[in-house]
Formats: sequence, structure tokens, C-alpha cells
Amino acid sequence: MMRQITWKLSIKVVFLSLFLVFTVFPLYWIFVTSLKPSNEMFTIPIQYWPENVTFENYINIIKISNFDVYIMNSLILSLIAGVISLIIATLGGYVLARFEFKGKTQVIFAFFITQMIPLFIGLAPLYLLMSKLELINRLPSLMLMYTVMMVPFCTVMMKGFFERIPSSLEEAAMMDGCSRITALFKVIIPVMLPGLAATFIFAFVQCWNELFLAVMFIDKEEAKTIPVAMNSFITKFDIDWGSMSAATVLSVIPTLLLFAFAQKYIVEGMTQGSIKG
Amino acid sequence: MLHLKKGLWVLVSFMLFVGILAGCTSSEVDNSSGKEDKDGKVTLRMIESITSPARTTLLKEMIAKFEEENPNIKVELISPPLQSADEKITQMLMAKEDIDVLEVREQTVKNWATNQFIEDLSAYTSKWEDWNSLTETIKHGATAVDDKPYYIPYGVYEKTLFYRKDWFEEAGIEVPETWDELVDAAIKLTDPSKNRYGYSFRGGAGSSDYIEFMTWSFLGEKIATKDAYFTSDGKVMFDTPEAKQVLDTFVEVYKKASPPDSISWSYPEMVQGFTSGMTAMLIQDPEVIVTAEENMKEGTWDTAPLPKGTPSGVAQQSAGTAGWGIGAFSKHKEEAWKLVSFLSSPEQNLFFAKENSLIPIHLSAGDDPYFKEGYFSAYIEMSAKPEEFLIADRPVHYKGYAEYRALAEKDIQALLLDKLSKEDVLAKWTDFWKKEKENHK
Amino acid sequence: MKIQTETVTERGLPLFRMSKHGLFIFLCLLPAIILVSIFTYYPLLKGVIMAFQNYSAYDLMNIRFIGLENFKTIMADIGFKESLVNSFYWVFFSLIPQFFIGFIVALMLRRKFKGRGVYQAFIFFPWAMSGFLIGLIWRWMLNGQGGVINDLLMKLGIIDTAIPFLADPTWAMVSVIVANVWYGITFFAIMILAALQSIPEELFEAAKIDGAGYFQQLFNITVPYILPTLIVTTLLRVIWILNFPDLIYSLTNGGPAGSTHILSTYMLEKIMFGQNYGQAAAVGVIIIFILIFFSIFYLLATKFNKAGDF
Repeated sequence: MMRQITWKLSIKVVFLSLFLVFTVFPLYWIFVTSLKPSNEMFTIPIQYWPENVTFENYINIIKISNFDVYIMNSLILSLIAGVISLIIATLGGYVLARFEFKGKTQVIFAFFITQMIPLFIGLAPLYLLMSKLELINRLPSLMLMYTVMMVPFCTVMMKGFFERIPSSLEEAAMMDGCSRITALFKVIIPVMLPGLAATFIFAFVQCWNELFLAVMFIDKEEAKTIPVAMNSFITKFDIDWGSMSAATVLSVIPTLLLFAFAQKYIVEGMTQGSIKG
Repeated sequence: MLHLKKGLWVLVSFMLFVGILAGCTSSEVDNSSGKEDKDGKVTLRMIESITSPARTTLLKEMIAKFEEENPNIKVELISPPLQSADEKITQMLMAKEDIDVLEVREQTVKNWATNQFIEDLSAYTSKWEDWNSLTETIKHGATAVDDKPYYIPYGVYEKTLFYRKDWFEEAGIEVPETWDELVDAAIKLTDPSKNRYGYSFRGGAGSSDYIEFMTWSFLGEKIATKDAYFTSDGKVMFDTPEAKQVLDTFVEVYKKASPPDSISWSYPEMVQGFTSGMTAMLIQDPEVIVTAEENMKEGTWDTAPLPKGTPSGVAQQSAGTAGWGIGAFSKHKEEAWKLVSFLSSPEQNLFFAKENSLIPIHLSAGDDPYFKEGYFSAYIEMSAKPEEFLIADRPVHYKGYAEYRALAEKDIQALLLDKLSKEDVLAKWTDFWKKEKENHK
Repeated sequence: MKIQTETVTERGLPLFRMSKHGLFIFLCLLPAIILVSIFTYYPLLKGVIMAFQNYSAYDLMNIRFIGLENFKTIMADIGFKESLVNSFYWVFFSLIPQFFIGFIVALMLRRKFKGRGVYQAFIFFPWAMSGFLIGLIWRWMLNGQGGVINDLLMKLGIIDTAIPFLADPTWAMVSVIVANVWYGITFFAIMILAALQSIPEELFEAAKIDGAGYFQQLFNITVPYILPTLIVTTLLRVIWILNFPDLIYSLTNGGPAGSTHILSTYMLEKIMFGQNYGQAAAVGVIIIFILIFFSIFYLLATKFNKAGDF
């Protein structure tokens, strides 16, 4: 019995270790690359740790570009779009979970279909629309688009969370004289914080990483987001892997921190909403 | 549950903090989209296409000087990522965005001119004192479509051979003067075990340009003067034995003397291949001089004239230009012209050409020592022997030219992977150009 | 007060009367519906119209309806057929390893152990990154000249000479898929882990008392319990993976010679380099059709009737 357990344990340890190496190596490698001076970038044999550690790539990035601006833009954008999506999705998800009404299936179906629509099909008309609204090159246009992008999925996610919470909870509150909305915010929301956190993080990360819409709508330096800036780094002159890797490291740090901090809630939140069967 | 609430608190306060910051910065972002400020200042929107951080910095420097001279004009420079910049500009023009000044290139000028996206600059150039001091090449480039100046070029792109002087000396090989010699030398200098290859091949975006000037070189004088994708006896240039020879050479230099990855290399990779010490030879624009000067040791590299074709014995390429034009939907065309003429003035252009290592546009710049010595000497040599180094015009007046380039790029990769035969490729291109010619009438 | 008749039972049977709550329902859904209609469905409609038009940036003066011409042109293009086949490989071979490795990881993380939090934090990283960056990182690692992956494989004695990962059509396809697997395992791991943790512990204890072994427990309790999650997650992944051009765009951009194009990157290329919006839209219409048919078929085959709960 004891032996069997250690045997099982060692499989687990080996598997999880290998998987960890597989997952972390690319990140390690891009980090190491960012610390290499440009003349060591291509040296053979490959150095798994730079001979001369340097921060020149980071300094360079900060000097030639407005990286602080990009990070700030991305943060503002993702936070606001994430929060707005969350609010809209909470309202929508609540209604979809609690009520039965005409057109409900159609609404859910319409949301489901949005997931299948390739982004590019509507890009040209979308651009014309945005241009008419004078929203080109302005962060609010992306906030709007990202919210639109996130709302359907988040709504259905929230619907799943609400369905797991017995409606007796808010009924009790409504008996005490609360209105439905107050009951929703006072009683139900606090119970499903992990679900909210998970949904928010999902939306935040998606917005943080979105490339094509941002490239499409933004080219002004002051309004660039990180993916747009990264895309610009592939310049005519060279794929400057030094700056590129430094920029990559800088740009993933916020989301990595968010994940490291919030991974517990993500799983907890998803657990709340996972099974609906 | 407690730890969760605490965590959420952190999140909320973080959001609030950022929100406050957002309030401060967004006001900055917003006002620049307003066109005319209260004090009557005009804001020009300028968009560039061949972007790179270094060049953008340079342009900003010049713009700052312009704003100093014209205190009531503000210029807002837009620099989209290189890869899709032209597409982006087209998109903006389709939406009738009021772009004031924009970078126009050979590939885009025809399309934008026919769609009336850009202004005919005749009205301005006729009154412009610097027009007459432009070199013939530049005047010719500016008026390539419908004989009207749709843009003022900022320089000439002509290709030259960059090579590793030290490697050639070490191996005791002469610098190649013809494509045959180039292939031989490249094969000799290739040693994959040392991660060394003879030639910086271009198989990715822009590869059709290489087929283009190689075919022109191999056909030499047979190319029709005003219609360079056709021979003087009216055949499509791909419908010739020389074109087959070109593809043989092209495929051989890839398979035997170039990094396998170079099948998808485009400008940045091929330049980097050369400057990082992976490849021995590179055929590229003068812009590379600045990059190479920055990244390579003096004495390890040099330039030489473009290799010649066989049996023609000449090299032939286009004098490529790109420059500044004015958007048709601009609301400040007078001011836009002020900026274009400022950028194109002898003084500013010389500065731009030097910093960017381009061949300048004004006759007067020819006296500047920078363009007479050192790495530019290959260009001087080429222009001193016009009968050996011919200039042909890209067929920009054909509507299908841009489409052909996109199509050819794919075919070239398929050819290199043996998915298509040389004969098939040539037949396909011949068909394309026959149709173009019929439609063009 | 008629609260009693207005309660929703545990099984979710609706007892609310529509009329009373109509306004509330309407107001709550309004923002979502307005946004999605204007900014998703309106451009979609316009896009679908474009699919039947000669809409090309090379020929803007001549935009007109041309019937099914765009579809015909695309169907005749070898590149399209190739990307259709590639799309299948791309989805299938990305999905299967993502699913199984994700599942195993989730199983191993189900029970608490020391350092699980830290471990989770590390392995969730890929999901925090953008497809674009992942493509760039893998391109750097797969670089045929001095790329680290070749170096590692040679050090481990698996290969003797460097593999031209991005220059050879087959290897290039393998490369993009491996990168995608790397990216997608996390998503499955998170979803499945969450589902696993919602299984009541009593179920396992009961099974243990009955003497069920590990695999018996796995197939008799775990899998049936989380089946709905598996079905929905997998369907979503199929849709997302097919519509995921970011990674391929930055890793190979469809090359060499279109051998790594999937439908969505093929479409992107039609726009970016062909500037042919009509044909691109036609590809988009085809993608939507494929996904709708696939979803219907998939949901019927799995007898799953809650399609809306994605």
C-alpha cells in the first residue's frame, strides 16, 4: 500500500515537473534574451545564461518608446472595459438566470453566435462606423469595442453563476422589504465574489491582449496600447530581439502579477459556475 | 471568505487609483483630435508608411523645426506598424478621413490617384522654387502616374551589394560582378556548421522585387523602355529563356547558399542576417548603410555595384522613390503643402537623406562629400556608368501591379518549396501580365 | 403580497409573471443587446453584403454586386483548400493534447498539496499572454539559425542537424500547433479543475467504501459528473481556436507558401495584402457556416441540450 502511494506520487511529481518546465521555459528564455547584450544575441554555442548581464535592452526600450504611456493606456482600457462588461453582464446574466420570458432563447443564441463571428468580417464596415462617430485614434473607441467583445461571453458566464445560487436568498431579502436590485447587490453579489473576480479577470486579460482591433483603430502615439506598440517593434530595420524581448517581459508583468495574485479566485470562481447539469 | 474580500479590496482600490490617473491622462489625449484650437492654430495630420523607430524620431525632429518656423501650425505624426501601414492608410482614405500629409510609395500611388484619394500637386509645384533643382530621377518618379506630380519624393532607393570584406579576403575570393560569380562565391562562403551562409536571401514579403530586377538585368537592353515588364518585341518579360535562367539562379542561391529560414525573410530579417554576421552578402537599399555602420565593425564590410546578368552584361534596376503627398480630404491643403515643401527643401532633405542614408533629391546635394565617398562610392560608380547600370521604371501605371506583387510573393515561396515548377510560375505570371496589358488599353 | 407564487423553485422553474417584470428584464438586457446589435451584428450584416460585392481596394471605383463570384474565386483557389485542410489539423491536433494534458494536470491539482498555489500561478502564465506575443516568443525559439529548441534537441541527442522548423511546410505546421497547445492547456486545466472541485467529496468516499479503484472512480464518478463542462468547454475551444489568427500571424504569418494558413489567417491575408474585402468577407461567411453546422452536429451528437450555456 505504502509503496503504491509513493509510486503514484512519483509519477505525479515527474509529470508536474515536466509540465512546469514545458510551461515556464519559453518565459525563461525570453527573459534571458532580454538580459543579453546585442552582440551576444546570436552567439554560438547558445548561452543559457548571459555572460554579461545587461539592462541595456530595457533602458533602450524606455528611451526610444513611451512604454509607460502604452502600459497606462492598456491598464486604463482593460480595467474600464472589464468593469463595464462585468456590470452589463451581471445585469444580463441575472435576468437570464432568474426569469423565463419570450425571446430568451433567441438572446442566448445570438450571444452564442457572436463567438463564431470572425473579427475581420466586419472590420471594414466597423471602421467606417467608428470613423463617422469620430472615434478613430481614441481610447474610448477601444473601450467600447472591447466591452462589446466581452459582454456576450461574460453574460453567459454570469448566468451560470446565478443559477448556482438558490433564489431563496434574494427572496428572503425581498421579504424584508428590499427591492430586487438592492437584493441583488446586497445579498447575491457578495456571495458570488469569486465568480465576479473570475469573470473580471477573464475580461481584463482578453482586453489587455487584444491586437487586431487596436492596430486597426489606433496609431497615435498617445493612444497606443501595448500590443499595438509591440506590433510596431517589428520594424523595417531589424527584428530587434533585444528590445522585443525586454518589451515582452515588461508587457506581461502586469497580467502575470494579476494571475499570480488571483489564480486562487479564478479556480474558486469557475468552480462556482462550472456545473449546470 | 475573509481573504477573498480583502483581495477584492486591493483590486478595487487599485482600480480607483488607475481610474484617477486615467482621468488625468485622457484629457491630454482628447484635445489633439480637435482640429482648430481656440487660438486659431491649425493641426495637420501626417501619416508615414515605411516606419521605424529611428526614422520616426528623425521625422519628429524635422517637424519640430517646421513648427518652430510656423508657430500657428501643429503637426501630429501618425506611425502605423510597417507591416500593414499602406493597408491602414488606404483604409483611412476609404473612410474619407482628413489626412493632410501622407507617405506615398510606388506601389500605392496609382491606386490612390485613381481613387482620388490624393491631390494632384501641379498647382503647388508650378509655384515652387525648389522644383527645378530636383534631380531628373526625382522629377521622373514624382510624375510616374499620368504625368502629374502626386508626391514629392524624399529620396531614391537603389539597390547595391553589401558584402563581408573580411570573409572574402579570408577565403581569397574576388567580390562578384555578375550573378554567376555571386552564386559561386556564396556557395563557397556557406558553412552551416558555423552558422554562416553566403547570401541574405529574401523569400518573404517583397521578394518579387528581386525577381524583377534580376529579370531586368538578365534581359538588359531587350526590356522595352516605357513598359518594363515587356520586351521591346512585345513579349511579357517572363516569357523568355532569360526569365527561366533567373529562376534557376534564384532557386540555386536559396538552396545552396542561404539560410533555410530565409524562405520567409523580408527586409528586417535579411538585414539582420547580414549585420549579425550570419550572411556574407546582401543586396539592399542604401538605408542599410546606417544600420550596418551602427552594428558592424569598420573594415569588415563594404559595398559594391549591383551584380550583372548573363548574357546581357548589364545590371538593371528601378530608381525607387517614396515621398510626401497631400490627402484629398484634407481641410488644410495650403498648410499641408507648406509642410511638404519644407520637408522637401534642399536643406531639410539633405539632413534626412544623410541620417537615413538615402540618395538625396536635389542636384546641389551631389556636392556633399558624404554621398561621394566611403560606402556610397558603389552608387557613384553605378551612376558613372549608365550604359552598364541601367534604370527601368516599375510598371506602376498598371492597375494590377500591386496585385501582381502579392501574387508573385506566394508563387515564389511555392517555387522554393517545389510546390510549383519554374515553368508553371513563369506561365502564370506571363498570363497575368498579358491580361493586364489587354485591360490597360 | 404574492411573493409565494413568484418564487423560482430550485429546479429553476419560472413562476414569475412576465408582465410584472417585463420592464426590469428589458432594462437589464438592454445595454448588452444594444451594444451587440450595433457593434457586432450591424458590421456582420454589412460584411455579409460585402461577400457578394466586388469590394476591393484596388478597384474602389467599381463596387457592385457580383453574386456568388467571390465564393467561386475562393473555392477555386488552392490556398483556400489548403487553409481549409490546415484548419482541421490546427483545431484537431491543438485540441486533443490541450484537452488531455489539461485534464491530467487538473486531476493532479485537485487535491491540495504544499505549494499548489505557487505551482498554479506558474502554470497559468501562458493564458495571461497574448497569442501575438506567444507567436513571437516561439518564433525566436524555433529560429532555424541558433534557435534554442534546435540546440536543446541536439543537446539531448534527439537530432543531429538543426531542423528548419519555420522553413519546412510540415514542420511549420507542427510548430504553430505546439505553440498553440502550450497556450491552450491552461484554459482546459482551469475549467476542468474548477469542475473537479465542485464534485462533492461524499461521492468519492462512497465509491471507496464500495472498493472502487482509481480508474473506476475516474470513469464512474469524475467524468460523468463533469461531462457537461467538458462538452461545453470543448465546443467553445473549437470555435475559439478556429477563429484565432493571432498566434499564426506572428509566428509564421501563414508561410512558407501558405502552408500554415488556416481560414482566419487566410482571411486576414486577403484583407492585409490582397485588400480584397469582398473575398475576405466570403471566407468569413464560410467560417460562420462551418461553425454553426459543427455546433449543431456536435450538440446533437453529445445529446447536449443546453447550447446556450456556453
